[in-house]
Amino acid sequence: MTTRAEFLERIREQVRMSPGRSPASSARRPQHPAAEAETIRRELVERWPETLEAFRREFEGVAGVFHRTASIDVVPAIVARIAHDRQAREVVTWHSAALGADLAPALGACGLDVHPMPAAEPSGGAERERLRTLAARADLGLTGVDLAIAETGTLVLVSGAGRPRSTSLLPPCHIAVFDRTALVESLRQAGVFLEAWHRDGRPPAGGSAINFITGPSRTADIELTLTRGVHGPKEVHAIFVEQPIRG
Amino acid sequence: MSDAELTTPFRQRAGSAMKDEFLQEALTIATTKFIGLRREAFAGFPEGEALRDRARAIKEATLQHLDRHLETLIANVERLGGHVHFATTPAEARSIVVDIARRTGARMAVKAKSMATEEIHLNEALEAAGVTPVETDLGEYIIQLAHERPSHIIAPAIHKTKGQVAELFTRELKRPAEPDPEALTRIARAELREKFLQADLGITGANFAVADTGTVVLVTNEGNGRMVTSLPRVHVAVMGVEKVVPSFTDLMVFLAILAKSATGQKLSVYTSLVQGPRRAGELEGPEEFHLVLLDGGRIAQIGGPLREALSCLRCGACLNVCPVYRQIGGHAYGYTYPGPIGILLTAMLEGAPAVRDLAHASSLCGACVDACPVRIDIPRMLIELRREVDDEKLAPWTERVAFALLTKLLQNPRLYRFAAKAGRVLQRPFARDGRISRLPLPFGEWTRTRDLPPVASRTFQERWASDKDLRA
Repeated sequence: MTTRAEFLERIREQVRMSPGRSPASSARRPQHPAAEAETIRRELVERWPETLEAFRREFEGVAGVFHRTASIDVVPAIVARIAHDRQAREVVTWHSAALGADLAPALGACGLDVHPMPAAEPSGGAERERLRTLAARADLGLTGVDLAIAETGTLVLVSGAGRPRSTSLLPPCHIAVFDRTALVESLRQAGVFLEAWHRDGRPPAGGSAINFITGPSRTADIELTLTRGVHGPKEVHAIFVEQPIRG
Repeated sequence: MSDAELTTPFRQRAGSAMKDEFLQEALTIATTKFIGLRREAFAGFPEGEALRDRARAIKEATLQHLDRHLETLIANVERLGGHVHFATTPAEARSIVVDIARRTGARMAVKAKSMATEEIHLNEALEAAGVTPVETDLGEYIIQLAHERPSHIIAPAIHKTKGQVAELFTRELKRPAEPDPEALTRIARAELREKFLQADLGITGANFAVADTGTVVLVTNEGNGRMVTSLPRVHVAVMGVEKVVPSFTDLMVFLAILAKSATGQKLSVYTSLVQGPRRAGELEGPEEFHLVLLDGGRIAQIGGPLREALSCLRCGACLNVCPVYRQIGGHAYGYTYPGPIGILLTAMLEGAPAVRDLAHASSLCGACVDACPVRIDIPRMLIELRREVDDEKLAPWTERVAFALLTKLLQNPRLYRFAAKAGRVLQRPFARDGRISRLPLPFGEWTRTRDLPPVASRTFQERWASDKDLRA
């Protein structure tokens, strides 16, 4: 077996004997990513309506369904309508702390079976299995959004306590709720946030996965025929809430 | 590709591909569609050209300090609780993964689409060790059921009709399947969903790895990459050493051009950034994370003639525009990586002798350079490979003698003039209507597939010598 030392030494040797031939430069990393991220947010306080419009256009372009509502209180009714249209009942949601609001009572009042995910790690394997089965059986998965990228119509979700990866993955329909604080204009800006999140070594929610989601799951592997919902959700909804969710 | 198939000469493999009518139609439709999608994506993205240059410059800068970036990556993966392994050869890489599977008691492995694990023939090794590998990308799943190999980097099953897929599903999955892509996809979803939930081991490649943060980046459209990295207890990522990028800022440059080049999407549906095993408080994610760094011939090219090919993003754009790939498809190349870049990668991984014939499977038209998101000069390296194949006397002796004589002829004006005169006489029995369509053996090889223009009745040199108007 090759040892780490041997492996790296061979690379070092090659690197030494091979001067660069074409222009070489890494991207300029932001010096103070947190401050730069803050600047992006501040600028968007003015520009968010255009950014939101661009997001909507791109999101719909990748077959996402866009909703807009005044306040978080209306979200359960929108979710219930999506559920009823699909004769669906079972909803898994991120924990209220991760969503920014406790929607479970209102969703329940709309006649849905709601299963909020716990904020703490499951106590054992059996409990973990039970929660995963809930997500696998659910019709709808309700999550928050950490970044919404206008350039590509992308939702960025960071995993962590109370915000499982499966909520946006296993149910056939994913509904994501966000407000203007999640909006960014471009992939480049999203990069600044990623840098800022990791400057102290950990992303915000402390999770081990960050997922960029750009529309519903798709494939064109059989005769190039576009088909949705191959492994992930067949439908993705984004609900924009005008009043900031966290007050 | 089985060894038996590889013993068929390239020319014969290409020949039978060109006689396969369905394949011909499928190739034309698929490659033409991909070309159009890519063109549209970049037409609506004015900053694309500059980003392509930046992406290339980042790859180049990363290669110049590859040792440092890998050290940073390794340190960060380990800081997050992951394990890093080092594989010089495909055999080493296989035994690393098989050992992990054995140690963790894995019985089934779900795999996201990965060229690196195709390259090391991992599935056969897993099977031999009693672990069932399940390909989960729909195209890969189809060809795994059919016991074939991918024919395109990003559309592995483009050589199959929906009717063939329906027959395959009916036979292999023991459930009646209609030849309808939607219905077939539903069947695959149900079959594979079970496997995702049961599997102990998730195996992926890596589109990128971010050194700064120890992040492995997977790009998929179906969501299988997310499943494979979230549900099984153990995640193993197998990655060529050249896939590392320094930072998230660099990563964003690549993400902005990768999907546009591959499928014309602004971004693929899922870009998953996974960092180490599951953390405290998380419901999902693996308990163990392993990163296998693969050499397989790459390291020797950091300072070698194929260095540029280490910048390849595996987008498949060069396949779609290549006049040779468009005629013969992926299987005829005979190795894991098809198309123009595939010839270079095959030379890198298997050595130059492996591409003795393939080095000539290019018209050197340069369409690949224009399509490549990082502008890899593929024709330049193909010419170098041809020279190497010649230097090592790998070409057939007839070819080497013919070209040696031609070289002499072209270097000596008197000999050249004499040859032109002689040719004019000798060609008489063969020239018809201003072209030579058939030559006797051994020259018949040339005219078997194309005409030869005859020597002109007055050569340019003769006209130059006698015709004053020409010189005025």
